[in-house]
Amino acid sequence: MTTSAAALRQRRRRDRNWHPYALIAPAAILVLVFLLYPVASVFYYALQNYNVTLPIYNGFAGLDNFRAIAEDPLFWDSLAFTGRWVLVEVGLQFVCGLVLALLINQSFAGRAVVRALVFSPWAVAGILTTTIWMLIYNPSTGAGYYLAEMGLGSYGTSPLSGTTSTFWAVVLAELWRGAPFFAILILADLQSVPNDLYEAADVDGAGRLRKFVSITWPHIRRAVVIAALLRGVWEFNNVDLLYTLTGGGPGHATTTLPLYVAQTAIHKHDFGYGSALTVVAFLILAAVTVLYLRMTRLGREDT
Amino acid sequence: MEHRSHSAQPSRSRRRPHVGRRALAAAMALAALALTACGGSTPGSAGADGEVTLQLWDTDTRPERSANLKQLIDMFEKKNPGIKVTYLGLPTDSYMQKIDTAIATKSTPDLLTPKASDLSALVAQGALAPLDDRFAKGGWAERVDRSMVDITKAAAPDGKLYMTPATSLADAVYYRKDWYDKVGLGAPASWNDFFTAAQKLTDKGSGRFGYTIRGGAGFFPQFVQMVYPQAGVASFFREDGTSTLDDPAVVEAAQKYVGLYKTATAESDLTADFKAMVAQFTAGGAGMLSHSIGSYPTITKTLQPAAVGVAAPLPAADGSTVLTGRVTTGFAMFNNSRHRDAAWKFLEFTMSQEGNSFWAKASGYIPGNLAVEKESWVQDSPVLNAAVAAGKAPNVRFLNQPYYLPEFNSITNTDMRPDWQRVLQGQLSVREFLTTWAAKLTQAQQRYQKLKK
Repeated sequence: MTTSAAALRQRRRRDRNWHPYALIAPAAILVLVFLLYPVASVFYYALQNYNVTLPIYNGFAGLDNFRAIAEDPLFWDSLAFTGRWVLVEVGLQFVCGLVLALLINQSFAGRAVVRALVFSPWAVAGILTTTIWMLIYNPSTGAGYYLAEMGLGSYGTSPLSGTTSTFWAVVLAELWRGAPFFAILILADLQSVPNDLYEAADVDGAGRLRKFVSITWPHIRRAVVIAALLRGVWEFNNVDLLYTLTGGGPGHATTTLPLYVAQTAIHKHDFGYGSALTVVAFLILAAVTVLYLRMTRLGREDT
Repeated sequence: MEHRSHSAQPSRSRRRPHVGRRALAAAMALAALALTACGGSTPGSAGADGEVTLQLWDTDTRPERSANLKQLIDMFEKKNPGIKVTYLGLPTDSYMQKIDTAIATKSTPDLLTPKASDLSALVAQGALAPLDDRFAKGGWAERVDRSMVDITKAAAPDGKLYMTPATSLADAVYYRKDWYDKVGLGAPASWNDFFTAAQKLTDKGSGRFGYTIRGGAGFFPQFVQMVYPQAGVASFFREDGTSTLDDPAVVEAAQKYVGLYKTATAESDLTADFKAMVAQFTAGGAGMLSHSIGSYPTITKTLQPAAVGVAAPLPAADGSTVLTGRVTTGFAMFNNSRHRDAAWKFLEFTMSQEGNSFWAKASGYIPGNLAVEKESWVQDSPVLNAAVAAGKAPNVRFLNQPYYLPEFNSITNTDMRPDWQRVLQGQLSVREFLTTWAAKLTQAQQRYQKLKK
């Protein structure tokens, strides 16, 4: 009796030890197969010469790919452009998103419609966004053509093929899509600000600016920090919009680092070098993210 | 403690291992589902009644072409009961990515429609089946245009035949006859005529440009078409493997060609690909267009055939004519197809008089079958007739692009384009551009020559 009870208890304990793993297994398997394995293979190929069209040169390369990256002017150019692109995009998206959020937080007639309109660009698929903007920028059917018809500007021009206009043309397209994201997150926090705080501030005779600095900003700060980080990472990794709108051109004028990776790996079949570039981008992003979170002290607020 | 909790809920505790097993089974099933969902179907599967099904991947999906190809398949299926061909159209600008993935995962189909320029990348990966033996045994050497067979073989790094020389492209310069008439010009007969016309037809105020230059994707074939014949240079490399890209005559011709940008073309041509160019030409935005003969059916769908002229190949200063853009397009089969005999039957059909005649006529390409070449519809098409005649004229040299070089496509397609755009923008001189890239091509060619020895 006692032995069978002990055996039973032991079996039950074994079962119970086994359960959590079984329950985690599906998620763990998926993460292993679809996340860890691909990431690990990128690190592996970064140390290889691997070009499917030049198989005779394939083999272990050590750190050759990374040495080549350090001397690759295109890498540094694309990195510099990526930095500029992220700063300008996130900065403008934050400003526009904040203004939009503050506007639609007011009560006025037709607010629901305006809110839906403000958020709609975010709901549009990326590839659709670029199609819309490509039609707008198209020299023979877009805005430029109709402006030329009205006598403004000249025929056969496109913002996407100018020397400086290209940058601002793609910035505008991405801004159109990205600003609503800030607006949504900021608006959500704005709605949680208790109205009596503003009423108390009114009693104390605070102005609009004072109310924003002392009440609104502290409430939305966290949302802004998170949104800026997310948008920063997304803009860094932005491929779809730039790839379809400009393909990184003209020249290399709009080539971000991930776009350079795409060109190297997908078009040139040089997966070794492409993987090494990806590893570098990964490390840069990880370092910047840690630095950013420390600077904004997000972690400390949580505890 | 534990014991007490057990006695409190005995039934639930007893059922637990059961739930765990079921959850695990469900998880396994889910994972298995997720994994199988990623794999493609196996190629060349045989049906229960012994019917063979071949998969064909097309690399150039356009509505008209898809319809033509499906009709070709219907014709083949009628003649070959027991073989079915399923069609899959890949996007024109990214088909290689899909094929590369299929090769890597061993899920290639049976049949493919490659261009000669794709062969070296595919052969390097060991993907295509060589056709030389079957081609010789079938007696096709006597029935197919010899020069097309040679060009197709020359496009592979090992000189073997990997694609049926079904049809061929050729470059053409189209011009708006009605615009020419208006400014009182005759058909262009020399390069001088061409450059004069480009400037004369340009009327920026009304949105009309004399020419449309290709600054975007695929700029290189057009650059070759407009520069090499002008310079009278008929090869890409000299004997010692050095590139002719920085040959003084090529540099001079290129400078003239680049001079058209913004003076006789739209500024937006900086990023124009072939779709943008053809759209500009057919919409009345450009008076002249360089492209291949394959776009004639598309162009004459929008413009009246009477309004579209096709210039005869223009001679160089020394009177010789260099012909460009003679790229064979055909059909190939994959090495790991399980039904290669059936696949070869389809490939044969694309070279046979019946299949070749239909396909070449519908696509607007030069037919590879010698009997088809003599059919009346070839003589009646101004663009094909001109191309066939030009190929047979004396004092003509063919400029073949070195598609056998594995790096050639990526150098001329991906690497050179940004610099080309900088040349058009005036940020880089033509000479510097050509010298830099000549060095890269020389390096690739000499490496290839060394390996071949």
